[in-house]
Amino acid sequence: MTTEALTPTGRRRIDAKLIRHIAIRYAMVIVLLLVMCFFAYRSARFATPDNAITILVAAAPFALIAIGQTLVILTGGIDLSVGSVIALSSMTGALAAKTFPDQIWIAVIVSVVVGLIAGSINGFVVSVIKVPPFIATLGMLTLASGAAYVVGSGAPINGLPESFGAIANTRVLGLTIPVILMIIGIVGLGIVMRRTAFGLRIYAVGGNPLAAQIAGIKTGRVLFSVYAISGALAGLSGLMLASRVITGSPTLGQGYELDAIAAVVIGGASLLGGRGTIWGTALGLLLIQTLNNGLDILTVPAYWQNVIKGILIVAAVAVDVWAAKRRV
Amino acid sequence: MKITKGFARIASTGIAILAVGTLAGCGAGDPSANTDNGSGEENITVGISVYDMSSFITEGKEGIDKYAEENGITVKWNSANNDVTTQADQVDQYVNAGVDAIIVVPVQADTLQPQVAAAKAANIPLLDVNATLNNDDVSASVQPDDVAAGAQEAQMMMDELGGEGNVVILQGPLGGSGEINRGKGIDQVLAKYPDVKVLAKDTANWNRSEAVNKTKNWISAFGDDIDGVISQNDDMGLGALQALKEANMTKPIVGIDGIEDGLNAVKNGSFIGTSLQNGTVELATGLAVAAQVARGEATTDDAMNPIYTMPAITSDNVDDAIKHVVTERPEFLGGLTELINSNLETGNIAYEGLPGQEQ
Repeated sequence: MTTEALTPTGRRRIDAKLIRHIAIRYAMVIVLLLVMCFFAYRSARFATPDNAITILVAAAPFALIAIGQTLVILTGGIDLSVGSVIALSSMTGALAAKTFPDQIWIAVIVSVVVGLIAGSINGFVVSVIKVPPFIATLGMLTLASGAAYVVGSGAPINGLPESFGAIANTRVLGLTIPVILMIIGIVGLGIVMRRTAFGLRIYAVGGNPLAAQIAGIKTGRVLFSVYAISGALAGLSGLMLASRVITGSPTLGQGYELDAIAAVVIGGASLLGGRGTIWGTALGLLLIQTLNNGLDILTVPAYWQNVIKGILIVAAVAVDVWAAKRRV
Repeated sequence: MKITKGFARIASTGIAILAVGTLAGCGAGDPSANTDNGSGEENITVGISVYDMSSFITEGKEGIDKYAEENGITVKWNSANNDVTTQADQVDQYVNAGVDAIIVVPVQADTLQPQVAAAKAANIPLLDVNATLNNDDVSASVQPDDVAAGAQEAQMMMDELGGEGNVVILQGPLGGSGEINRGKGIDQVLAKYPDVKVLAKDTANWNRSEAVNKTKNWISAFGDDIDGVISQNDDMGLGALQALKEANMTKPIVGIDGIEDGLNAVKNGSFIGTSLQNGTVELATGLAVAAQVARGEATTDDAMNPIYTMPAITSDNVDDAIKHVVTERPEFLGGLTELINSNLETGNIAYEGLPGQEQ
């Protein structure tokens, strides 16, 4: 590319520059497209509308926690508790559905409120008591996981009414509720982050908390709200996961926080805060889910799937870091 | 000053009372303390350490508590929260406390060597129940036959498919004893059917949610070529069921364990069958064997190492299984002692009076 750029023909130069610019600007999109092309080339079954839906349905519960995680990471924090909050909200929602089988809306409210409460406690501990987010949410991870077992006395909640399954399995315009929630969440929060004062404040707090404070931003409030949102979204995610398979399980969501964090980082966010976007996270998530799906379709053995995923995640971020350096 | 003195006196009295209480507590745990418990047997204390409070263990604990209460057994209970070190500490404590027998539901197979040796040196029988400890010094053992369960479910599927077609297999966590043994049983049966092809097999970690996505991906890959799903447990089978529903497909599914939702799936025809591992019976039998060994009643190899062979559950006997596990559980627990004690005489410890089951 460099040699071409040096050749004196004007048009070529611009073309090369343009390609370079596009490659740098959309590095992650290109990585994703390459992965998709590879799978489509290897299996005729990959690039079908049904399989696209399969990927989206699998992605939806992760998307909810990943966009919440994006807000938290943008403030320079981290929320390790989302996986356990999913377990707790699935258990409490299932319990509510079992207790009030004819009023499923109670289960919906219970799940989301439980998530909101867990997130609010995180937010309070981080913003008011000033406990580092890593520790505060690690505490909540353990607490919520324990509480999830307490709810069912150690056992999953089985024998739920079919109506509980309707929450996640109802289709609107051919798409299931979790997929619709994912789209609303990504588009809605994407706009909020770009176009509203609230979004700007989150970037400001993450970019330079001191400057943000001097500029009159109530950093405590911003911090509190991102953890509360992350918790509520985890609650919603737990409800969707539990409803899809009509069971509450204390082990549901284990380790999901790491997938969510990976999606955010692959999406180009900095763990130090201030840099990252909702769109980026959506892209990162799509990459992870496409890998899960494509490797299954090629029936790659489970051990190798993890090896390949690990390598590709680091490689994707490496490409992004390389591109980011040249983006300025 | 006065207040402090008064407080000090109260505090020291309190400590003294506590100390006496603790000593008395030790006395109560002493096996030789009394023998009058209504069961006509010597009172004994059994220390139990389980890997974690899973649903299986939680169910089993009810059986253990019931059997202990009716048979003059005091149970000390601890959960290791899936941690090998915690389990080792718990077993050490039981050895030090001089209990009459120890039951371990192990976190991992190749652990607890020093603890097993210490128990042996102290003449305390130590049993592994539900999962094995790789150790020759284990005194007695109550184990499910996972190989037989895997073979049983694969055979059900072969009968359903008439010995030809394509199957996918959902596995437990790779490398765990459940996955290895159930998988061995499945492979043994499939080896007899050259016209059956395994399109894909992979782990969904016993997890219903993971199994939905895994199966959805396989449906993308193989579509209607999938003729049946062999799942190493009910939970993953139920995940496969959901995936098939989402794709508007109906295929035979078979599971293992007999959890509530799995039994209901057999009842409504979504599963062709499952194998019942009744935790209540299995773990309480573990306690019964521990008591027999401690009391010197079990001496033969068969009596000390009974095998739990999971009964096949199909539409023929699912109603009774649901009664035992879910709807009429209190009644089932009520007859548990009698059931287990007669099972120990016949040797078929999995017998619970289901249609088609022989004693």
